[in-house]
Amino acid sequence: MTISRRKFVQLASTAGLAVAAPAVWTQGQAQSRPLRVGASFSLTGPLSATKAGLVGLQIWRDDVNAAGGLLGRQVELVTYDDQSTVAQIPSIYSKLVDIDKVDVLISPYGAVLSAPVMPFIKQRGRFMVGMFALAGNDGVKSDRYFHSAPWGPDAKVNWARGFFEIGKANGCKRIAILNADVEFAKVSAAGGKAAAKELGQEVVFEQSYPPNTSDFSAILRNLRAATPDAVFVCSYPPDSSALVRGLSEVGVGDSVKLFGGGMVGPQYAANLQALGPALNGIVNFNLFVPEPTMVTPQVTSFLERYTAIAVPEKLDPLGFYIPPFYYVAGQLIAQAVKGAGSTDSAAMAAYLHANPTPTLVGNAQFNEMGDWTERRVLMTQFQGIKGNDIEQFRQPGRQVILDPSALKSGDLIQPFMKARAA
Amino acid sequence: MTSKTSTLPAVRPARPAGSRLTNVRSLAFILGALAIFAVGVFLTRAVENPFFFFASYIIIQYVALATGWNVLGGYAGYINFGAAAFYGVGAYTGALLLKAFDAPVLLCLPVAAAVGGVLGLLMGYMTLRVQGVYFAIATIALVVMAHTLVLNTDYLGGASGLALMPPEAPAWAGGQVQFLFLVMLGTAIFAVAVARWIEVSWVGRGFRALRASEEAAECAGVPTFRLKLAACAISGAILSMTGAPLVFYASFIEPETVFGLALALNAIAMPLIGGKKSWPGPVIGAILLGTVQQGATITISSELNILLVGVVLIAVVAVAPDGILGLLDRFKKGNRA
Repeated sequence: MTISRRKFVQLASTAGLAVAAPAVWTQGQAQSRPLRVGASFSLTGPLSATKAGLVGLQIWRDDVNAAGGLLGRQVELVTYDDQSTVAQIPSIYSKLVDIDKVDVLISPYGAVLSAPVMPFIKQRGRFMVGMFALAGNDGVKSDRYFHSAPWGPDAKVNWARGFFEIGKANGCKRIAILNADVEFAKVSAAGGKAAAKELGQEVVFEQSYPPNTSDFSAILRNLRAATPDAVFVCSYPPDSSALVRGLSEVGVGDSVKLFGGGMVGPQYAANLQALGPALNGIVNFNLFVPEPTMVTPQVTSFLERYTAIAVPEKLDPLGFYIPPFYYVAGQLIAQAVKGAGSTDSAAMAAYLHANPTPTLVGNAQFNEMGDWTERRVLMTQFQGIKGNDIEQFRQPGRQVILDPSALKSGDLIQPFMKARAA
Repeated sequence: MTSKTSTLPAVRPARPAGSRLTNVRSLAFILGALAIFAVGVFLTRAVENPFFFFASYIIIQYVALATGWNVLGGYAGYINFGAAAFYGVGAYTGALLLKAFDAPVLLCLPVAAAVGGVLGLLMGYMTLRVQGVYFAIATIALVVMAHTLVLNTDYLGGASGLALMPPEAPAWAGGQVQFLFLVMLGTAIFAVAVARWIEVSWVGRGFRALRASEEAAECAGVPTFRLKLAACAISGAILSMTGAPLVFYASFIEPETVFGLALALNAIAMPLIGGKKSWPGPVIGAILLGTVQQGATITISSELNILLVGVVLIAVVAVAPDGILGLLDRFKKGNRA
């Protein structure tokens, strides 16, 4: 059988088209498929207050989609409720990766819930943005993990170093450390002790207490007897509230110049509103406060949009602590995808390691562990709080930044009992 | 004095028909168990998606937990709120062995069972003199004690938890999660086999006597205290064994999860839903509730999933106070009538 040249060209073209069509079609599908970002949120359980972060991430998604998406693809969020339980995490992240085929992962909230994901992302070589997991990458040392929160390098020891540096600058030599018997508080207390030693301060009082302790009068009396210059407190929301109320009743003595440091609770609107003027004088950590040295038009716009969503949904109406950093997580992902030109984990990680990334809260530059190279944990002092109106916390001058010096917005009022009376 | 055994027949008495039936059923159970394990092995070859094994591990774990709880709570009638203590002790035994000796999970299982058995025996010895609600309260204290002990033991990670990288799974298993799925499947089958053995043996008859009336059983010569101790030890061993592979599964362990109230409530709810009187009850309850929970987590994905579980529990308890098996029995009796 002979085939004419014309017939041969027709056959070859048809065969070539048949072979190439699926590839072209698949590529077309991949291009039009949404870029999926997967995460678990603690919508229920003891960490459910952190679900406000989802609003931050949703705002980022809307922004990036309004600007045309990433690599020409719309961004889609795939999220599940981890019920604040470690046991749920492995199956959720397997579902995200193996069934939902997400392109990028965001970690669960905090070190405890993140811990089961770390070996998983290491084994699978996945890129992930970590959410508030202090020293979360210290165990597996993944080079594809990046913190959205600016804890800084060697976070276990250094994250609250600012408290001790303020203490040193104000002549505090005798340090008391008080911590709850829970994960974050214990790690922070150990870090604080190391930081104090490094700065030549003496730890004169150390005590841990069971979680949910509601009466601190005996502990505060013992603490007062040790006559410390500074009291570093690492507590969780319920005990932070009880401790602040105990301070109003028992006090800590005239020797104390600084009190606070690692108290979780006064970052959330509910606690701020409940405690009101009882917070005056306390120096505590935060990651964002609306001081002139921090506020930018972008942050203001973000918080306005956040509040519009959060208030009707009965979420934290201020949203200073967690939501901006979920937005930052989205920005890190966007920069990494754009920089790498793909969703390849290795390429995205390499890009973020090599390039500073502009974010809502400033430029992020990462070291090999995915820590921000520069610690940007704020130490702020509550000043001039009157009554329990939550709106006052949106004004500058209520949480004055003392450290880091680049963001400083006021001076420490001391001694502590005088600052409380002011 | 009467003569000794001269009046007894010289030939061995013929086996009653019921005993032969029991043997046939036991053979069928063994074959069924082997078939289920074989299906599990087949699935590790046939199913490629790891999520199936991650989710199945949790559901099968609940089968073992519910079965372990039912030995004391269902068969002997002693409601135990301390399931999380045994589970947690097992989980931390596995973690300790992995951290200290790089022990494989197959070694952790029997060691955790032994630790849980001894703990159950001690708990039983100290608490079984009280009954009913007092016993239930005493078992809660065990959770608090175990939790506090772990919180204050730095070697076990204390409140921060313990992150450990488990050793590589054997090559034949097809992967870490597939291997752990088979381990948990084997553990659950073992737990159910023990529960069934209890049911058909003299131990089960003793437990039934205990549950019906402890005083009457005592008067009839049933060694009630020893039986109750045995129930505590067996239940504790199964619950602890179930917890042992957790650190291999999650690569992390922390006290709030393993000693959590949710786990204890699930261990109680599942036999209640399925039926407490025989071994299929906890299995049915665990598969039903475990599947609903896993499904709810990845579909509804909100506070509603907790509500859904609560509604299912209330509905089942209202419609079938003796569990699903009790409901089926009622239907059967109704049809016969």
